[in-house]
Amino acid sequence: MTINHISIDTALLVVMMIAALWTVMGRSLLKAAIGLAVTSAIITILMFRLDSPLAAVFELSVCAGLMTVVFVSTISLTRPLAHKEIVELSRERHKRFGYLPLLLILVAVVLTFVKIRNNIAAPPAVGASIDVRQVMWNMRPLDMFGQIIIIIIGALGVVVLFEERKKDEW
Amino acid sequence: MPSLLIFIPLFGIVILNLPFGKAMRNAAFWFALAVFIVQIVLAITHQPIFWGNEIEQMDAFFRVNFSVDQLSFVMLLCIGLVSLTSLLVMRDTIFDINERFKFINLLMLASMGMSGIVMVTDIFTMYIFLEITAIASFILIAFEKDVYALEGAFKYMVLSALASVLILAATAILLLGAGSASFTAIADAIHRTDNNLIAVAMGLFVCGLLIKGGMVPFHGWLPDAYGAASPAVSVLLAGIVTKAAGIYTLIRALNSILGFDANIKALLLALGTISILVGAFAAIGQKDFKRMLAYSSISQTGYIVLGFGCATPLAIAGAVFHLFNHSIFKSLLFVNSAAVETRLGSTDMDRAGGLAQKMPITGFTSVIGALSAAGIPPLSGFWSKIIIVVALWQAGHTWYAATAIMASIITLAYLLAMQRKVFFGKLALGLEDIEEARLGIRAASVMLAAIIIGFGVLFPSAYAIFIAPIGEMFIK
Amino acid sequence: MMSSVLLALTIPFAASGVVLIIPNKPRALKEMLSLLAAFATLALSLSFYGRPASASFDWAGFGINLSFRVYNFSALLVIATSFFAAMLLMYSCVFMRGRENTKLFYSLILMSVGFVNGGLLADNLICLLFFWEALLFTTYGMIAIGKTNAFKTATKAFIIVGIGDIFMVVGAAICYNLAGTLRISELHIDSIGLGALAFVLLMIGALAKTGSMPFHSWIPDAATDAPLPFMAFAPASLDKVLGIYFLTRISLDIFRLHQESWASYTLMTIGGATIILAVMMALIQKDYKKLLSYHAISQAGYMILGIGSATPAGIVGGIFHMINNALYKSGLFLTAGSMEKQAGTTDLEKLGGMATRMPVTFACFVIMALSISGTPPFNGFFSKELIYDAAIERGTVFYLAAIAGSFLTAASFLKLGHAAFLGKASEIRPNIKEPPIIMLVPMIVITAACVLLGLRSAIPIRLILPVLNGYISAQEPLTDFAPNLSLIAITLVVLTCALLNHILGVIRTGSGLKAVDHIHYAPLLHSIYDKAEKGIFDPYNIGTGLVKIFSVGAAWCDKAIDRVYGSLIPTAAETVSFAIRKIHNGSYKTYILWSLAALFLVIIVMFNGLK
Repeated sequence: MTINHISIDTALLVVMMIAALWTVMGRSLLKAAIGLAVTSAIITILMFRLDSPLAAVFELSVCAGLMTVVFVSTISLTRPLAHKEIVELSRERHKRFGYLPLLLILVAVVLTFVKIRNNIAAPPAVGASIDVRQVMWNMRPLDMFGQIIIIIIGALGVVVLFEERKKDEW
Repeated sequence: MPSLLIFIPLFGIVILNLPFGKAMRNAAFWFALAVFIVQIVLAITHQPIFWGNEIEQMDAFFRVNFSVDQLSFVMLLCIGLVSLTSLLVMRDTIFDINERFKFINLLMLASMGMSGIVMVTDIFTMYIFLEITAIASFILIAFEKDVYALEGAFKYMVLSALASVLILAATAILLLGAGSASFTAIADAIHRTDNNLIAVAMGLFVCGLLIKGGMVPFHGWLPDAYGAASPAVSVLLAGIVTKAAGIYTLIRALNSILGFDANIKALLLALGTISILVGAFAAIGQKDFKRMLAYSSISQTGYIVLGFGCATPLAIAGAVFHLFNHSIFKSLLFVNSAAVETRLGSTDMDRAGGLAQKMPITGFTSVIGALSAAGIPPLSGFWSKIIIVVALWQAGHTWYAATAIMASIITLAYLLAMQRKVFFGKLALGLEDIEEARLGIRAASVMLAAIIIGFGVLFPSAYAIFIAPIGEMFIK
Repeated sequence: MMSSVLLALTIPFAASGVVLIIPNKPRALKEMLSLLAAFATLALSLSFYGRPASASFDWAGFGINLSFRVYNFSALLVIATSFFAAMLLMYSCVFMRGRENTKLFYSLILMSVGFVNGGLLADNLICLLFFWEALLFTTYGMIAIGKTNAFKTATKAFIIVGIGDIFMVVGAAICYNLAGTLRISELHIDSIGLGALAFVLLMIGALAKTGSMPFHSWIPDAATDAPLPFMAFAPASLDKVLGIYFLTRISLDIFRLHQESWASYTLMTIGGATIILAVMMALIQKDYKKLLSYHAISQAGYMILGIGSATPAGIVGGIFHMINNALYKSGLFLTAGSMEKQAGTTDLEKLGGMATRMPVTFACFVIMALSISGTPPFNGFFSKELIYDAAIERGTVFYLAAIAGSFLTAASFLKLGHAAFLGKASEIRPNIKEPPIIMLVPMIVITAACVLLGLRSAIPIRLILPVLNGYISAQEPLTDFAPNLSLIAITLVVLTCALLNHILGVIRTGSGLKAVDHIHYAPLLHSIYDKAEKGIFDPYNIGTGLVKIFSVGAAWCDKAIDRVYGSLIPTAAETVSFAIRKIHNGSYKTYILWSLAALFLVIIVMFNGLK
């Protein structure tokens, strides 16, 4: 890998960070959705660049699927804000950034204290030589089961949290 | 065949969810009950047919690689007991059949996730089971769907996400270094290398687990989550989820993977002491029964971590025993709080008073639970605390031992204050026709109190059967 | 046999647990169950006698194991314990009806029986201490479920007896240190140096349990606050049984008390003082239960005097007196209970003329009052005579104390009986009649036992004699306790004097209640009595008072200490608590920040260590 490649990756990471921050901090749902899409897209690009095409495809597809769920659920939960609330919220929002400098200072402090000698050799390409499907189904089946369980729980969660409570039950 | 502990509940849930009508929904409770009881029995008896290495076909068929040792047995026992308790409490707090069914599904999934955590031998699989447990817990906390429950769940989710990031990052670094994710491979790699990136990985990993375990200063989510969750969920969370996801994993990681580094030990001693003190002091002034118990939980977990930090075999045995005791007595106290909540409609301690007159079983068992938590002989909590203190003393950590004892007094102070406010004294106004809790809660509290007394009185044999082997595991 | 020894503990324990769990209704269920358990224990304990056995279970390391040993002495006392438990439970079945916490009460009584049996049978000092201490909690519980403000009395009892127990623990530790074993049957220590200290400490424990002075002051308080069957149960019978049992064991087996030793004199002095002081207090009481409670203390003095005398007659007399006392004292408390149940009060000023309305109760009372006063031919007479015998052998002053106690006992019971049962019929409640038959049966059985033990006094003495085995050298004849005729004559004269005194008093004041006022208001005694009534001589109050005097004398020190404990520490804790609660502002951002900050710190520590 040349310097050039690394700098491109770094730049992509920075962009991703900004997009993610925008997603979280934004007030409008639409902006948040766009932010999320951008973040996801950059992650996909990064994964392609790091020789993991399959992961990249997953990221893209899952993110697309996830997004519909998020949209449907959030829109079903929201109500329009009053003007006063909007003003208050936007004032509040800026306060959140107050923590950022603190974090930066902390990172700086840590870096001054800690001198990392990273002499780990480049990994013996774990996944590269073996087919991803092979890895998933033959080498790590338990993890796949685990993922299945997580999906089941997720489904249950959607059922539990987004189901309208019927009046006559109570 | 330990894998059956995962797969039978899983397939059970799948089958129960098939649209066969109401009968299945009613059966779910009994199915869950049976599963938990079987788990308890297997964990107590160490049934060799089930756990033995001879019959590997089942595990081979599912291509899983579980391994079970003494520590796992203790954890499996705790998981079974606390899940059973939670199920019994659920029976008396959730009455709608559909809600109940969903709850049981989630409860079984959470319990299964924890059983997975304590049996895996691979760091990434451990992470997956951690996530299973965590996600099931989020949904369980938010189960009531009121503002507080959602807020509590959200905080847990955010902090838990942070923990996931840390654990994953650490896993990635370790995977880079070792080339494999299994405990043994990573342990080997760590012994071989002097790369100090490993230290960063250790730090990240330990911090992630401490967030899951709710240790000070990683504990912010814990009081809100415990306090806001519905009674049955509080029991589960306080009793076992944080212990299995945070504390068990910590000891497993330190023992099987990372090794007891001198820095880690010093760190755990310090964090344990801070947790004990902050938790105890914060618990003093609480007005809400469940929040007080939540802070008390932090404090008691501090003792466990203090024991780990001492890292002598005796200390670790004591810590694991305290983990078990904490599961039992904290579950018991939360069951008592559930009894109060169902009858009173709130857990505000100022509104209650003199409830022991009307709820004798709840009152009596809460005394047992509180005394065990404060470490009063001859209840089981006393023995584990005294072991930890003795081990600290032997290892020369005199000040930590002294602090642990002092904090024990604070524990007694706030728990007795709770007793005075809630259960003794004059019956509060408007509570004249309050009744004893329902059958499930009663049964759960009597069961747990009996365990506390039994383990306390029969401590020597319990020590020989359960505790000493754990200490021996850690002799290197 | 091994398992049946344990049954004496497990039956009451199991029944106690079951009683606590079973539902409140139907009422008869828990009553039947408790009774069944009590009678089963009684039957079992009867089978123990004459069949020595032992059982041992490893319990914890360091020589601490659950070891039990049945031999004639402990078997005898287990029978007594179980007998009282059965009688009192039967009585309580009716007495406790309509009260709160009955379930807890039955449960606690059964539990106490288990603990007392455990203490009596234990052959390991630690094991004995365990049961002994456990009894403290049941005592606390049983007092505390009495009236609403009984907590205070319960705490007082807990502290007083608890202090005694702490001494005992230290004593046991010294014993272990000296002898290297905890098996009571193998412990033999000379009472010199550290051994003497151990003896004193163990003795304090035993005396505190027995309720002798200066560990007595909770008993009169409990008399008014605790449920009545408790009084008949713990201070009147079980506490005495256990305390005197242990006193005998340490005096005879462990330390081998000599007649001329200081320990013997100490015990006799304590015994004599207890007799006189407590009975003086009893004399002036105006409440049925309180009067009896002071006698419960006073009678303990006789036992201690007897055992302390270290003569065969004294020891046998002391133990015999303990059994007798347990009988008539619990019986008397039961009559007090009938009074409370039927008349609604035990205040002697309000009572009167009950003899015609409750003839059976009255008859029982008369017999037991005669017995406690030491009138022939009832059981109290024989044990007291033995003790007089021993006392006069050891010193006239002890005998004088004992006989004076006898005079005052008789006087006070004359007053009590006169005030409660004779005289003008009181009209506090219409239609006062005998209590239900179930309450009468235990009273009658106990009264009958008093008469029987009196008429056949040779039998119990023969049963008690083997206790002396190994203590008295073989040369001395063990069976010969010939009655000392001159002493009997003196006793009779003294009792007659008491009767005359009473008649004189009644003539002077015209009322049975005021029959002893000439003693009460005697010039010097009057002021002492006033102070005693106010609790000035109560060691508990003195103890607390001493702390106060000390702190007044050193005011600045007191204030500093007060400030540290009373305000500084709580305030500091509150402040810390408040600060900690304040920083938990509920914002997840704060919490994330903490976590991240801690993460960085952790990583720094991972590299550089903590120091």
